[in-house]
Amino acid sequence: MAHQAHAYHMVDPSPWPLTGATAALLMTSGLAIWFHFHSLSLLYLGLTLLLLTMIQWWRDIIREGTFQGHHTPPVQKGLRYGMILFITSEVFFFLGFFWAFYHSSLAPTPELGGCWPPTGINPLDPFEVPLLNTAVLLASGVTVTWAHHSLMEGNRKEAIQALTLTIILGFYFTALQAMEYYEAPFTIADGVYGTTFFVATGFHGLHVIIGSTFLTICLLRQIQYHFTSEHHFGFEAAAWYWHFVDVVWLFLYVSIYWWGS
Amino acid sequence: MMAEDIQAKLKNYKTAPFDARFPNQNQTRNCFQNYLDFHRCTKVLTAKGADTTPCEWFRRVYKSLCPISWINKWNDQLEEGTFPGKI
Repeated sequence: MAHQAHAYHMVDPSPWPLTGATAALLMTSGLAIWFHFHSLSLLYLGLTLLLLTMIQWWRDIIREGTFQGHHTPPVQKGLRYGMILFITSEVFFFLGFFWAFYHSSLAPTPELGGCWPPTGINPLDPFEVPLLNTAVLLASGVTVTWAHHSLMEGNRKEAIQALTLTIILGFYFTALQAMEYYEAPFTIADGVYGTTFFVATGFHGLHVIIGSTFLTICLLRQIQYHFTSEHHFGFEAAAWYWHFVDVVWLFLYVSIYWWGS
Repeated sequence: MMAEDIQAKLKNYKTAPFDARFPNQNQTRNCFQNYLDFHRCTKVLTAKGADTTPCEWFRRVYKSLCPISWINKWNDQLEEGTFPGKI
């Protein structure tokens, strides 16, 4: 019987990196085909393959870590570094859109009327739904921390409650934001104001949906006894991601919704 | 007294002088601001029924600085009621 003489995880061969790369190719070429020839088939194929890749790859990671014990402390450390680096890359992603916003809004051109908001734009009142959205996300940051503490204290029932509440708040934010998008008096096509507003808040909304999904998976895993009071990195990663989403919103709120009105 | 100063300044006008509000190479805002200021000045003084000669300074400056196509475009917009600046 051969055993490894180290604490690291030598992963078994897996098809998911290849299917993921194939999905990336199908999505990029699919996008180009859609632009030029109006067909969405390739894009849909790529998205389906992406979804299947993510489900199966992460399912396998859960099997390797939770059921097979491969996530030793050094392995977990590597996973922590990985999540932190990923979130850092996302910070830079959003930094670009904030750069675009400030570039256009700090020195508004004559075409806009030399002012910000540009002539003809009626921005949303920052003290209405946007303020509620801020409260919702801040509250969800509290509930996810409550869930973490419950988890660490071995309090199963409260961990489930707090995590459920966090997810509900996430969905509430998404619903409110969707309504705001529908009711807004301006669109993405309304000059650079519309562009910066909807691209920045739109990508943020996408990240809220991703974060909510991640938290939901954690809830299902918690219900199925995957987490222990000492070892629950999947949950921690989801919580870090959720806090990141919250912080991005705070910057969006202060810059675009409040200062930008 | 101020009227004589304005007349003197206008008589000695050669081109737009250095404006410390716009110190850099990109003078777009200098042009736009003077165009706005001319029209705002004219609007306010005609509303009071006063002499609009002081506004001449702004007109000279924007005429010196602005590309003619910009002036024409903005004048057309003013006529149409679609000029985006606040006058």
